[in-house]
Amino acid sequence: MRLPSIRAAVAGIAFATMLTPLHADPIRTINLVTRPQAAQPAEFQFTQLIAQEWRKLGLDVNVEVMPWEQMIQEIWFSRDEWDTTAWQMVGRPERSDPDEIVFNLFHSSTAEKGFNFIGYNNPEYDAIVEEQRVTLDPDTRRELVRKAQAVLAEDQPNMMLAHPQSTYAVNTSVWDENTVVDQSGIGIRNSWSYIQMEPVGAVHDIVLNSSDNVTAINPLYISGGTDSWITELVWDRLMRIGPDGLPQPWAAADYEWIDNTTITVRLREGMTWHDGKPVTPEDVKFSFEAAGSGEAPMYGPFVTGISEITTDGMDITFKLNQPSAPFLTASLSKINIIPQHIWDPVIAEQLTLETNAESHQEEVPIGSGPYKFASWTLNEEVVLEANADHWAAPKADRWILRIVPNVEAALGMLRSGEINFLSDFPGDPTVVQSAAAGDPNLTAVSTVDIGFRYVAFNHRRPPFDDPAFRRALSSAVDRRLIVGAAFRGFAVPSNSVVSPALGFWHNEETVAGMTAGVELAQSILEEAGYRVVDGALHYPEGVSETLGE
Amino acid sequence: MKSMTAIGARVLQTAFVLWAVVTILFFMFRLMPGSPLAAYIDPNFTPEQQAALMARFGLDQPLWRQYLIYIGNVLQGDLGESFFYRQPVAERVLALLPNTLILTFTSLILAYVFGVLAGAYLAWRRGAMVEQVGVPMVLTTRAMPEFWLGMLLLAVFSFGLGWFPAGGTRPPGAEYDTLWALYTSADFWWHMTLPVLTLAIYSQGLPLLLMRSNMLDVMREDFVTMARIKGLSPFSVVIRHAARNALLPVMTSFAIAVGYQIQGNVVVETVFSWPGLGRELVRAVSTSDYPLAQGAFLMIAVVVILMNLLADLLYAGLDPRVTRE
Repeated sequence: MRLPSIRAAVAGIAFATMLTPLHADPIRTINLVTRPQAAQPAEFQFTQLIAQEWRKLGLDVNVEVMPWEQMIQEIWFSRDEWDTTAWQMVGRPERSDPDEIVFNLFHSSTAEKGFNFIGYNNPEYDAIVEEQRVTLDPDTRRELVRKAQAVLAEDQPNMMLAHPQSTYAVNTSVWDENTVVDQSGIGIRNSWSYIQMEPVGAVHDIVLNSSDNVTAINPLYISGGTDSWITELVWDRLMRIGPDGLPQPWAAADYEWIDNTTITVRLREGMTWHDGKPVTPEDVKFSFEAAGSGEAPMYGPFVTGISEITTDGMDITFKLNQPSAPFLTASLSKINIIPQHIWDPVIAEQLTLETNAESHQEEVPIGSGPYKFASWTLNEEVVLEANADHWAAPKADRWILRIVPNVEAALGMLRSGEINFLSDFPGDPTVVQSAAAGDPNLTAVSTVDIGFRYVAFNHRRPPFDDPAFRRALSSAVDRRLIVGAAFRGFAVPSNSVVSPALGFWHNEETVAGMTAGVELAQSILEEAGYRVVDGALHYPEGVSETLGE
Repeated sequence: MKSMTAIGARVLQTAFVLWAVVTILFFMFRLMPGSPLAAYIDPNFTPEQQAALMARFGLDQPLWRQYLIYIGNVLQGDLGESFFYRQPVAERVLALLPNTLILTFTSLILAYVFGVLAGAYLAWRRGAMVEQVGVPMVLTTRAMPEFWLGMLLLAVFSFGLGWFPAGGTRPPGAEYDTLWALYTSADFWWHMTLPVLTLAIYSQGLPLLLMRSNMLDVMREDFVTMARIKGLSPFSVVIRHAARNALLPVMTSFAIAVGYQIQGNVVVETVFSWPGLGRELVRAVSTSDYPLAQGAFLMIAVVVILMNLLADLLYAGLDPRVTRE
């Protein structure tokens, strides 16, 4: 009589085990880091929106506000100590080649200390982005870049939000509106505009603004966004990123790939430095060698792939270590051509010093570009003069950059005529648009940026190592809501790190296939085994919380 | 002999204060959250390069050694190199200091001349309508935040009426052979009008109210009554007798006001895009550019300490009772 009861008891225990699941922990409080509202209003707003949607899934979300300086310390330099954070990549001409974004941001080799700070690791993805790097045929490479974007859309390593639009404005009673160039992914604030803009009245000076001080005017130092406006005008490069976002010959008359790893560039005839001496192929060779000399550490990475440079007449031949598809954009459009007679002694001296060439500020910077340096007043103004001897001589007389830290004043200055080109407006773009709408002399142009805003997931910390969990969190939020509420419509929804501004490379299916909603997110979580108990989201069965307090 | 000892003690005291300022500044910035490397985060920047940068800045050294190196350099007049600008700190700070000093002193002198005269007048007209309206008005202007006042002046006089430029020290592209040529040009003063006005309106309250209450005290003293009995004109009584004596504490407050004014400068220099030390300071702090922030603060501290020293000496000169003590 005892036996059946024991059996029943055993069966009962087995049955109970089946009913009460294995142990599963509730997910800890998730931190979401953002910069302060005063510094980054859009970011602050979208993190609040996202936290609100995530909470509907049963997650406990804590929005943590910290300044950028602290964020660098606690996110970038402490790679396994955060959960999620708002982040951004800014648009730059050299990011017109997708390699910098699709490779550096996600390749596993850059996870430890490089730009893959989220710790994404997908061997299949690694293989695709390694291959696109060495694929010289644009169409084949395009397919690879599109494939990489599809993998990212599936994996959701980040929660992509939006590509903001940059808004700048010009006074059309001073400058002919039709000569202002809207560069794809960059906007009207670009070298092409400064060279091609034609005056319609008595004012022949382009007067523009920046809210940042000029740090340095140095062709071997990538010192800041505003500074690059100046270096792009004072120094020439072999190639330049065109208004369509693709590299085109500039100081190069033309170029030719001899084989997979050899490219020959013919230098334009008759170029001269601003001090009157001729620009030679030797100067070009020297410029690339200086960038790789160790004395210009920020330019070093752009020339590491070059094994040898030789000159023959006006020809310069670059021999590469391996085929490099981004070479035209990342190297030839990036390295400033500098005069050997000025920089040779500087580099020789710097080699003996603790400092490097970045510390060397020329009294009068000498380049060969369309504008010549005229003067620099600390934290107030930089003046460049048109170089009439240049093959692309500007139509303006001078280019005058005013440092205006007060954003509201910058817009006022544009309306009052103190400046005639609004080249920096970190505030609300609707203000610029409405100012332009109310003034027949002002035209504002908004352009979709190469850069993007997103929320990064830390793949080193569960549950963010689970693609299903990331997909769920990402799909919980409708991007149109973000664009409308946080960016006031001045952005486009994003689901790819390659901006729609880069039309050739952008995979539009990633965005078209995007669906969102709390129900969708809930169903993804349910399918992956996550459950809500008493309103709190729990891990799938058998998974414990290892990071809770 | 005695005064020599007093001056010696004063100089020693000043040196000690400077040392304390340098030390506090040094540790204060290094205890703040954030890293100077934040300014250099870039995909093209490898970890090795960042480590090399830390080494170049000396940030890989223990804190006490950094401190000793810094003190040693400061003693030799070397304020170091800015992390952010890669330029000598002293060069930048000295280039910007004149802009700040001119703005500060012009506005303060204006505020004090106005404050002293108006204060004396209000004291003289005690109980009159002008006093009943004047004092609340002064209190109101004193309470207005500088950035708000600055934006208001910009909106009215620059963007509205177009009388004054909205920023900078000179018209776009204007060139001057020397700093002297710039500072004596009409353009410079035209550009400085609105920032000076903002600061002056903000600072006139203190000297005005101080002067008024001192005057009210002095007017009750015997020598003023004596002057009145002698039958001197009201002008002579108020200005030559009472005002001279009421002026002393106001003079001291001027020196202290220079120190206070620096905080106002930070705001006004930003609102009016004025290339001064205040803006540089804010930028240096926000980018964790320790050497530059220390250098800028130190320069301001030196000005404040010198002004206090000057006030002490001036006080002794104006009121003989002070030295005899």
